[in-house]
Amino acid sequence: MLLRHLSLTNFRNYVRLELDLAPGLSIVQGENAQGKSNLLEAIAYLATSRSPRAGSDAELVNWLVREEPYPYARLAAEVEKHQRVERLDITLLPARNNHRYRKQVRINGVNRRAIDLVGLMPVVLFRPEDVELVAGTPQQRRRYLDIALCQMEPPYCRALSEYNKTLSQRNALLRHLAEGGGDPVQELRFWNDKLAETGSLVMAKRQWFINRLEREASLRHLDLSGGFERLRLRYLPSFDPGIRPEPRQRRYPSTASLRERGVAYEALTPEQVRASFLAHLQAGLSRDLAAGMTLLGPHRDDLGFYLGEYNLRTYGSRGQQRTAALAARLAEVTIMTEAGGTAPILLMDDVMSELDATRRAMLVEALTSVPQAIVTTTDWEDFQTPLLEHATRLTVHAGQLTRLSAPVETA
Amino acid sequence: MAMQVVAEPIQRLIEALTRLPGIGPKSASRLAFYLLRAPAEQVQELAAAIGELQESIVYCSRCQNLSQQDPCEICSDPSRDMHIICVVEEPLDVVAIERTGVYHGLYHVLHGVINPVEGIRPEDLRIESLLERKEKEPIREVLIATNPTMEGEATAMYLARLLRSGGVRVTRLARGLPVGGDLEYADEVTLSRALEGRREM
Ligand SMILES: Nc1ncnc2c1ncn2[C@@H]1O[C@H](COP(=O)(O)OP(=O)(O)OP(=O)(O)O)[C@@H](O)[C@H]1O
Ligand SMILES: [Mg+2]
Ligand SMILES: [Zn+2]
Repeated sequence: MLLRHLSLTNFRNYVRLELDLAPGLSIVQGENAQGKSNLLEAIAYLATSRSPRAGSDAELVNWLVREEPYPYARLAAEVEKHQRVERLDITLLPARNNHRYRKQVRINGVNRRAIDLVGLMPVVLFRPEDVELVAGTPQQRRRYLDIALCQMEPPYCRALSEYNKTLSQRNALLRHLAEGGGDPVQELRFWNDKLAETGSLVMAKRQWFINRLEREASLRHLDLSGGFERLRLRYLPSFDPGIRPEPRQRRYPSTASLRERGVAYEALTPEQVRASFLAHLQAGLSRDLAAGMTLLGPHRDDLGFYLGEYNLRTYGSRGQQRTAALAARLAEVTIMTEAGGTAPILLMDDVMSELDATRRAMLVEALTSVPQAIVTTTDWEDFQTPLLEHATRLTVHAGQLTRLSAPVETA
Repeated sequence: MAMQVVAEPIQRLIEALTRLPGIGPKSASRLAFYLLRAPAEQVQELAAAIGELQESIVYCSRCQNLSQQDPCEICSDPSRDMHIICVVEEPLDVVAIERTGVYHGLYHVLHGVINPVEGIRPEDLRIESLLERKEKEPIREVLIATNPTMEGEATAMYLARLLRSGGVRVTRLARGLPVGGDLEYADEVTLSRALEGRREM
């Protein structure tokens, strides 16, 4: 799978871009604030229908056109797959109340849902901010899991989207029920069932992914750190999906140790998780009613990174956190290639400059192992001459891209 | 102060149209200018139809459908099968099912579906009157034809539990309708198949 062409209109500082992309490695050099991150953000947005950094889609629309009567932004990709070309495009259009934007997704010119787009052009994006994967919030880690899994597994993406809709309905119902009136058991039944049905698929898949991630990432981590300590990854769910509380259990099952040490099931079947989730929902009904929201479920999941006994989030040095995050990204590439069936496009946003020689070498190895990679830098010196010679070189200045060279053909 | 660019009556119509579902400022002004230039009869006919709408329409006290008479035409038609009730979300769903010509029973219109986020709970729907009908009328089957959306399924499940007693069969439209789709937009062949292939709940 290759990204052959990218078109941008009014996306961030790209008022108009038509860019042909070559297979292999492309390196985009530019000074600060010229459009390097924006370019990779655009590609990631087309791949996942979400921005890796923006809080709202409105930020993505070029701010000079926002004052125009009908401001919009458009991103389009031509993707080559098995000798066939697919066209993906997303248009951001002003919604009713003018400060928001809605997105219109099309695949080969036909209107589709955003979740139909995800996975058609899988990418893995490396950013300097990736350290947040280890150091940041549980929400950032769930997002990492979701973006990786959604690109590999359309059923995961559908289950997650249904789960989120069901969760909003159930939470709204809990708030209404708390105000009085209605029979909680009757009215909640459908939403509990649906939550358990969709949530169990999400949890079973997350456990599967975290197991694979641990295997791959710990290998990478040994190489990256040159150390002896094994990186461990643990699934930290809000309830133990392997047990079922008794129907009339008085005490609510404690989750403190679960949140510390996590679980590590070899495999979880959705059926098993479903029964457990449903039983936990029933046992937790009065707590949910009191809180006016659903306290248990994959929306409360977390992922722990450990060296020995220590959670790197709390005890890791910045450098240790960075190394673990890099190992997780590299592992993601391998898993996506093997389990997802297609090698992802690697996107790296100015990550070389802050790494030592060993780590750079590992990244270069990853870059050259995939069919296509697009990398940005402020400084050509980040790359060694042989690599530069085999790359397509471009520069970016104020939202304008210029091609400097085609790769040197190997004799 | 904004300058008055468009004459006041046009502005007023545009504003009124914008309040309608599915109509944004752009289509509202297109409609307004269309009406401005349309033949007078056409505009008067439209104005009259809108004016009479709320005066002449009532809820049928039996099936809760909108009608010009109470009971409605379908409820007072002796040739209809009195043993089966088809439960739908909206009056337009009745129109869609009638168009197929394969269903000859009665209807019950809920006027909505359970949707907690929108604040719609069972007591906001016409469910009470459906339960009364089940007691009073010689019903053998209730066919639940809410849309195959999450909210439609939630409503179907909720109703099934309330209705499933006293020898009444509760059935559901067969799958085959596009998931998340509206009955209102299903083509006749698909809808006929869904009606004929209904399954026990
Ligand atoms: N919506 C927008 N409309 C117009 N310009 C924008 C918009 N959003 C961001 N920009 C600008 O785009 C420019 C390029 O941003 P980008 O993040 O791509 O820079 P960069 O090349 O990655 O720089 P650095 O090396 O500092 O990371 C910045 O000046 C930024 O302010
Ligand atoms: Mg940048
Ligand atoms: Zn009637």
